[in-house]
Amino acid sequence: MAMKSWLGKRQPMHRLKNEKEASVIALEGIGKSYDKAGIETVHALRDVSLNLARGELLAIVGSSGSGKSTLLNVLGLLDRPSEGTYFIDGQDVAKLSSDEQAHFRNRRFGFVFQAFRLLPRASAVENVELPLLYSDRKKIEGLAKTALESVGLGERLAHRPSELSGGQQQRVAIARALVNEPDVILADEPTGNLDSRSALEIMALFQRMNRDGRTIILVTHDAQIAEHCQRIARIERGRIVSNQRVAEPKDASVALAELPFASGGAQ
Amino acid sequence: MNLTRRITESFSNLTRYPMRTFFMMLGCILGVAALNLVVGVGSAVEQRLVKTVQMYFSASSILVTSGGNPFGGGPRGENTRLTLDDIEAVAAALPSIEAWDPMQVLDPAALKTGDASATGRVVGASDRAERVWQRGVTRGEYFDATAIARASRVALLGATLSRNLFKDDDPLGADILIAGAPFRIVGLLESVGTDIHGIDRDNEVVIPISTMLRRVMNVDSIRGAKLLVRDPAQVTQVARDIKSILRERHGLAAGQTDDFTVVTPMEVQNLVANTKRVLFIFLPLVAAVALLVGGVVSASLMLSSVSERTSEIGLRRALGARAGDIALQFLLETSSTTVVAGVIGTGLGVVTARLIAERLSLSPSLPWGAALLGLLLALVIGLAAGVVPARRAARLQPVDALR
Repeated sequence: MAMKSWLGKRQPMHRLKNEKEASVIALEGIGKSYDKAGIETVHALRDVSLNLARGELLAIVGSSGSGKSTLLNVLGLLDRPSEGTYFIDGQDVAKLSSDEQAHFRNRRFGFVFQAFRLLPRASAVENVELPLLYSDRKKIEGLAKTALESVGLGERLAHRPSELSGGQQQRVAIARALVNEPDVILADEPTGNLDSRSALEIMALFQRMNRDGRTIILVTHDAQIAEHCQRIARIERGRIVSNQRVAEPKDASVALAELPFASGGAQ
Repeated sequence: MNLTRRITESFSNLTRYPMRTFFMMLGCILGVAALNLVVGVGSAVEQRLVKTVQMYFSASSILVTSGGNPFGGGPRGENTRLTLDDIEAVAAALPSIEAWDPMQVLDPAALKTGDASATGRVVGASDRAERVWQRGVTRGEYFDATAIARASRVALLGATLSRNLFKDDDPLGADILIAGAPFRIVGLLESVGTDIHGIDRDNEVVIPISTMLRRVMNVDSIRGAKLLVRDPAQVTQVARDIKSILRERHGLAAGQTDDFTVVTPMEVQNLVANTKRVLFIFLPLVAAVALLVGGVVSASLMLSSVSERTSEIGLRRALGARAGDIALQFLLETSSTTVVAGVIGTGLGVVTARLIAERLSLSPSLPWGAALLGLLLALVIGLAAGVVPARRAARLQPVDALR
């Protein structure tokens, strides 16, 4: 399958269109501190405020230890902030119970991790089905297959992660993030373990998902990756030091087409 | 929430790690099998014990044997001093004794007929043995008082000896050589199987006591006698009287130990109770230790599996699993492994118990209590070692579990 054919596909996102008003992710004065061995307090985040409109593609960049992953974990409701407020569509999500947050993540969030985090002995389809296991959907048959097809892995449904390349594994993870049709994708260094071509393929997927109307927040330390996003928030020592629009975001599919050799994974 | 979906998922989780699942189960299988085996064989032995005791030792019977202290393990008195006259004197002196039967035994003895030969037990008994020991003949006639008086060469043949000596031929009316002397078979003994000592009571030939003493063994002492007391309430008193009569007849001075033993139903019941204690407390305790060890093995595997899978739990939480979903998953996984292991272990234990019981010609029984206990323990182990730590991991912040 040629790269362009599946990048060019558009899936109708009925649910997204029906929610007319602009979705807002609003962090206000978020702080996160840990007690380290009970002696010193480590401030991973200090007074972070951040607003996202629906359909934005935001990169959070920073050096390691700057707090960018902590921020993403707070955004993804995987961690609770020590202070500040977190609203999504006007709902105070930080106040939800642990189980309510789990349900919220299941409906609204798709996660992509640096280390893929696939179940090693499960097939691609079984991995992609995981979020469906915890969803309210009555019918799940075929959804995982469709999601895998949409990331160009329709031929590798029964493959285990060990039988796939890194780029393919990350695409399985992306299919898993998409299968429940969330409107927000949170990605923590999604290209960190990949070669440059696979990284571009993944970025092309993110850009396509963004064009489909999804809000995407992507953590990276790679400035080149960040240039594919519409906005870049730089974080240093737990504070957002700049938050700027990218004048002309790069198009990953264009860059891919210009690469001299065809990618093995997308053939 | 779709339960079938969850169950399917749990099963595929188990099949993804077949070795781990196998060893998780193995501990429970072996432990549960040991418990079922021990209790199964134990209850079969107990059944036989009770059956034998009921058959040979009713509440109104007293057993007198030559030699002292058969149960106590102390030094035995002279073994040849109990005679027919002793028992006759006892029976004459004590009117509450309604019947009695003397016994002398030659074991092993060579038995022959034609070309066939066998080794068996020869028992000398009176014509009253049929009633006193509750063992008659299936065919032919029990010998009568005349045969005793005449010391006739007649014999009653047990089923095993009959098979060994005559195969398919009819032994009734045939002649056999017992210790070289010819006897005519006049009856076939009822089959009673193996007794609690493992002796095949059908590998026996019964002849008149008089013939046994005079013609076969040429002795005047007997091995013992069984006496039936009219009123079971009098058994203790009668036993005491028997002792004093025998001591007097044997000229034993005060302080000398008995050269005979009187066994009352009470003593037999104590013996049975002791045996039962071994069968149902000590042995199951040993089996319970085996179950515990197996359980610990399974439990440690489950524990390490949960801690290995903490990041999987974190991932599932991130993807939307509630704490209860995680608990349910591990509940399904561990309960299905332990229940399947428990069922396999029960099957293994029951089948092995059955094979052993058959070899010992005992009638096996299914130990429901042990089977249920084993399953229950296996389940508890699964819950304690699989579900509790999984629940703890599920209560972590997803980010902490993901690390």
